Order: sequence, then structure tokens, then C-alpha cells
Amino acid sequence: MPLIDLRQISKTYGVGDLEVHALQAVSLTIDPGEYCAIVGSSGSGKSTAMNLIGCLDRPSQGIYRLDGIPVNTLEADALADIRNRKIGFVFQQFYLLPQLTAVENVMLPMVYANVPLPQRRSRAMKALQKVGLGNRLHNRPNQLSGGQQQRVAIARAIVNRPKLLLADEPTGALDSQTSRSILEIFKNLNRDGMTLVMVTHDEAVAQQCDRVITFRDGQVLSDRPTLPAAITPVNQG
Amino acid sequence: MAYNLFENATMAIKTLGANKLRSGLTMLGIIIGNASVIAMVAAGQAAQNYVTRQFESLGTNVLFVTPGDAQRGPDAGVRRADTLTLADAEAIAAEVLAISEVSPEKSQRLRVTHGAAETQANVLGTAPEYLTVRQVTLAQGRFLSPVDAQSNVAVAVLGSETAQTLFGNQEPINQRIRVDNVRFTVVGVVASRGSSFGQNLDETVYIPIQVMVNQLTGQEVGKTSPTVQTIAVSARDATSASAAIYQITNLLRLRHGLLTQENDFTVQSQQDLLDTAASITDILILVLGFTAGISLLVGGIGIMNIMLVSVSERTQEIGLRKAIGAKGSDISAQFTIEAIILAVIGGVIGSSLGIVSIVILTLTTPLSAGISLSAIAISFTVSGSTGLIFGLLPARRAAQLDPIVALRS
Repeated sequence: MPLIDLRQISKTYGVGDLEVHALQAVSLTIDPGEYCAIVGSSGSGKSTAMNLIGCLDRPSQGIYRLDGIPVNTLEADALADIRNRKIGFVFQQFYLLPQLTAVENVMLPMVYANVPLPQRRSRAMKALQKVGLGNRLHNRPNQLSGGQQQRVAIARAIVNRPKLLLADEPTGALDSQTSRSILEIFKNLNRDGMTLVMVTHDEAVAQQCDRVITFRDGQVLSDRPTLPAAITPVNQG
Repeated sequence: MAYNLFENATMAIKTLGANKLRSGLTMLGIIIGNASVIAMVAAGQAAQNYVTRQFESLGTNVLFVTPGDAQRGPDAGVRRADTLTLADAEAIAAEVLAISEVSPEKSQRLRVTHGAAETQANVLGTAPEYLTVRQVTLAQGRFLSPVDAQSNVAVAVLGSETAQTLFGNQEPINQRIRVDNVRFTVVGVVASRGSSFGQNLDETVYIPIQVMVNQLTGQEVGKTSPTVQTIAVSARDATSASAAIYQITNLLRLRHGLLTQENDFTVQSQQDLLDTAASITDILILVLGFTAGISLLVGGIGIMNIMLVSVSERTQEIGLRKAIGAKGSDISAQFTIEAIILAVIGGVIGSSLGIVSIVILTLTTPLSAGISLSAIAISFTVSGSTGLIFGLLPARRAAQLDPIVALRS
């Protein structure tokens, strides 16, 4: 059973003459354990696809099953629950809460998952150790470098043991060396069995994945595995 | 609720602590509101206690007969200062059964001298009964006696301050003083009585009313009996006060020849005066409390204001929280609790300030203000619910934010 199963998904914004068809009848499946990049120029529909896959938004038409659950039928609170338990998010701007320490930031998803308090701290510390930040537990975000902040964000994304890790331009705000170390963490997580979907416009980053899905004009333009030295026709956006 | 109360409160305190200046300024409104509610209500109650004590100092079971119709005011046409006479007082003493003693009072402010010492005093012509009706204590010597009254002897009893001014450390008894150039012999000194309605009762010279009429004021033209300003009457006991009022009213109407006209005098018990004063001070407390309440309301609106700003500043935080699984109810609980905590902390500080101002009020004015627990409880409840009410709108706005829009902002 695929982890992500999009069938004839359409997303339309606005009404009447102002209608924008962000996605048009997109069908797509991603299996558990895949490491997959979504690329495309701005306006290609990749962000809309990312929002739908992440259950932050609902499709106008079509069926979306996440881990077998038809999430397109769910209400806002149920979607919040799905996001909490099944999806981890990593964003370009990290989105850490400045008033909380690293470990407190990582504990946040478990607060909404009703994990008992004593477990939260130990799980958060384990997650931070996994991303190599075991010695920065009690620093606040402004005491951490960009790469360290993104690691905290990754720890936060994996702490509820989600099935899917969704990364939106995770290296967009980082220098190339730091980017490599972040991608290394992703690779390790994928090796441990985590399904990863990453939205990026950076072809070099996309090449790190096993599969690249290219969007254009609200449709899937190409969907192919990366080859070690492949010359992949990625649309530069 | 996924997000329990204790954690929410801890989180809120962290968040508020991260922005101390703003949190402090937001609280300021609530602090001032609370402090003023508590201080104002206390000041009002202190004023009420003060007024009540003043009336109680007049003596218990005392009735006051005054000329004119106090209920109808000066425009009623019958309010004249000369409708009560000494003869009326004598008639009340002789004919009304429900009373025990009668004290006619006629006063004038005059110059009093002893040698080189000179002062202005309230010269009060009255009867020996004044001592018991008005519950006055003597410090030295004796009070006016029935013999003085009958034999027209110029004797005087001094108030404590007048005695001090005229005699200093000298013995005043049997000394001579001059009141408006008439000689009097001092026979006693009254213990300090304090002040009543702004008048210092210790700057008084008590003399027989007959002596006052004969030697100081003279007989009024067209009057067979000298007029008096007040006839103080002590009722036989607490239960006979209303009977006494009724009987005095009937007697005086008869004596004044009133058939259909309104009364040209007023009989009031100390309780009547107390009730009137209490109804005025109740309004005072209400007005003060209401004014202070408005400042509390303004403080609440301040909270709403800042919370709204806070929501729009923290849209990314809200978006992130929603992305990682917060429900709308979690977000609104978070913001509501932040507002309540602001209001409650402001309430604590404000109440403390209010109490401090009560202490200052007590130390610097004659009012002795009590700390009213109910005022504290009310202002606490009000500030807590202010936080709740004014936190709700911003919290609702936060809860309704679309996570995508919030994250992309």
C-alpha cells in the first residue's frame, strides 16, 4: 500500500474569472521508505501539492489517501491530528519559537499528541542527539547557528515518529556546506526507513533524492528516478 | 483539550516573560484599574464611617427640633429661622410624655477675653440638661445648674480648647472672663469633644440661655419668648423615639397655630439623620466605584489591543503550531490564558497598590479606611473576567488563522 496516494487531485483557488487551477487532475503515489524530491518553477503547483500532501489544505476534487486514510474527507481538527501523528514538517525558515529552548521546541509536537510529560523530555533529547545536537539542549534559537536551528527543526519533525517527513526548501536559507550536513541527516533518516518528500528548486539538492517529480502548470511533467550521473531535464525556475 | 491548563499557563508565562516591556505596559491598565477600584471603594466607605461617627457623636436616642421645614428646603416659604422659641422647649419638657430631657440651644460666635488673652468662640446659650442630652463629660468644676438658670447668674463653662487658649496652664475655675464685654465667672471645663461637621466643639463657651438672651443678644422684637436654633430632646428610650416625634409635632403645631399649613419646624431623630447621610454616602461609594470600574474596563480594552497586535505578530508561531498538530481550540486556549494571566498578575499588583494607598489615606487624613475584602474579591473577579472577555476576540482570530497563510506570512 502506498503511503501517499493522490488520485485525480485538483485544486482551484478563487471563483469565476479569477479562478486559478493550481493543480489539475494530478495522480501520484509514493511508497513507504521513498526519498523523493518535488521540483518545479514558481507557479508550477509544487507548493500546492506540498500543502495538500502535508494535510495543511484540502483538494477541491479528487481522493487523497495518506497511509490508507482518506484525508480529503476530514475536518480541520481531524487533519490537525493527522499532521501531528503522521507528518513531520521542516521549513526553510525553521519556525522555532524564540522563547523556548531547543529541547522545549522539540517537545512541542508531543504536547499536542498528549504524550505524558516525563516521556517528552527524554524523547526530545533522543531526537536532538539523533541530529547531532545533544550538547545544545538548553540553548535558545538565537544562540544557535542556522544549521543548528534547522537540526532542531528536524528533531521536532521526527520526535512524534511520523511516517512522512515533509521538507519545504530545507536548505534554502543555509550555505552549501551546512546544506550538505542537513541532507546527510535526511539520508540517514531515509536509510532508517523514514519516507521523505522534499520540495526544492535546487537541482543539486534534488539529485540527492532517489526520485524527482517535476511539476509544471499544475500537472506532473516528469516523474523519474535519479541516476548516478544522469542528465535530468529539470526545469530551472 | 489536548493542551492542558497547567502547561498552557507555563507556556503563557514563558511567552509573556519573553516580552517583558510589552507585558508590563499591558498590565499597567489593569493595575491602575484594580488599584483605583480598591482605593476608591475604601475611600467611599471611610467617608461613610466618618459621617456615621459624626452623627453618632450627637448622642443616641436624641431628637432634634429645628426651625423651618428641612424636608422642603429653603424655597418652601416656611423655612424661617425664628419659629422655635424657648417657650416651645419648656412646653415640650412639660407636656410631652415620651421624652426625658430637653436642651434648648442658641449660639452665636463672639469675642471672648481673659486679661490679654483673646479668642473667638461659639457662645452657646443652653440649659443644664445639655450635659445629659448631648452626653458631654466634664473635665473640671461643674456644668450649668438649674439655680444659674433661675437666678440669672453670669456663669460660664468652657470648652477644652477655649480654656487652653485663655488660661494656658492657669487654673480657670472661678476666674473672670469677658464675653462681648459682659463678665462671666468660669465654673467648669468640658472634656474635649472633637469636631462635628467641621465645627470644632472644643472652642465653645456654655452659658445659661436666659443670661444669653438678657445680656448678650437681647429680646427679639415682636417675640414674647426668645428664639432658639435647636431644641435637642432625649427620648425616654430607643423605642419611644417615634412616639416622641409624633407628640412633639402635635404640640408644636398646636402652639404655632398651624391648622392646614405645613409644619414650620422639623423633628428628626439621630437615626433619620444617619439614614439620610448613609443614602448620600452610598451614592458616593457607587459613583467612586463606577468611575474606578471604568478605568478597569479601559485596562481590559488595553489587553485586547495588545493581544490583537500579538496575534498578528505571531502568525508564524500560530501557523507552525497548527502545522505540528495544534487544533483551533488549542490556539485559542493559549491566547486566552495569556490574557487571563496578564489580567490576574495585573490584578495582584493593582490590589497591592490599592491596599498601600488605603494605608496612606488612613495615615494622612482623618478618614480611617478599612481594606474591604469584598472590593478585592470583586476587582479580582472583574480583572480576571476582563482578561477572559477581552482575550477571547484575539484568541478567536488566532484560532481561525489558516496554517498555510500563517506560515507564508
